[in-house]
Amino acid sequence: MIGFARHDGIVTARFTRTECLVLVDLAEQLLGLLHERGTDATGDLLYAQLGIGGSSTAPLDPALARLLPDAYRDDEHAASDHRRLTERSLVERKVANARRVIADLDAQELALDDAGVQAWLRTLTDLRLALAARLQIEDDGDTGLGDEDMLMVYDWLGYLQGTLLEVIE
Amino acid sequence: MPQGALADTLEAPAVDEEVGLDELAAPDTPWVTIVWNDPVNLMTYVSWVFRSYFGYSAPEAERLMLLVHTEGRAVVASGGREEMERHVEAMHDFGLWATLTRDDA
Repeated sequence: MIGFARHDGIVTARFTRTECLVLVDLAEQLLGLLHERGTDATGDLLYAQLGIGGSSTAPLDPALARLLPDAYRDDEHAASDHRRLTERSLVERKVANARRVIADLDAQELALDDAGVQAWLRTLTDLRLALAARLQIEDDGDTGLGDEDMLMVYDWLGYLQGTLLEVIE
Repeated sequence: MPQGALADTLEAPAVDEEVGLDELAAPDTPWVTIVWNDPVNLMTYVSWVFRSYFGYSAPEAERLMLLVHTEGRAVVASGGREEMERHVEAMHDFGLWATLTRDDA
């Protein structure tokens, strides 16, 4: 495990084959999850192209609900309106980030520009949010359901994000 | 595997504070963007988001992050409703849990 490094202003990372496979698999699962949300909202094509016309209710799946939270806490009507107008774009941006990560992992040694760093930081976060929801982690230090393999991956993603933040500081 | 990655996360106390939305507030009452605590995001990440997105200085970003951590939430911006909606959307992009409400303080 090497994580991220920075040479001459360029952020690089080298992953083992297994690490690559795990990251790609997770990012694809994230895409699957987001796709589920993207397609179950009914809306017309023009709205879809504008990034609006999405669902007006929060996702039932706790992982999706955490990835796509309500913008208003105590105003259901405003939360629903805001979601209908913005959720589809939010999903699309998360999808684009995850796709970027998958594409980057195709390279032997990846080099990230600023946009790449942004995509990676966000996708690593989305993956950890989704995993935490699946693990039912609710408090700091909480191991949730205690699935050791999943926890190991969750911690590893946090470590990766930590090294990425360190190298860009 | 790294040790301590979980220990660096923001803990989530029972967050049940009421953020009242006062429908009777004056129309020009400013709105605020609130970031809520969660058990997942790294403290270093939250600080970085506050610095890189809002342009806060390192000490101010750190102060706001710690406020989220200890109080369960922090107001990170205030202004017009549409501007706060954009901030909330940006926070959701980053994976932070944020909401907006009328500033009735």
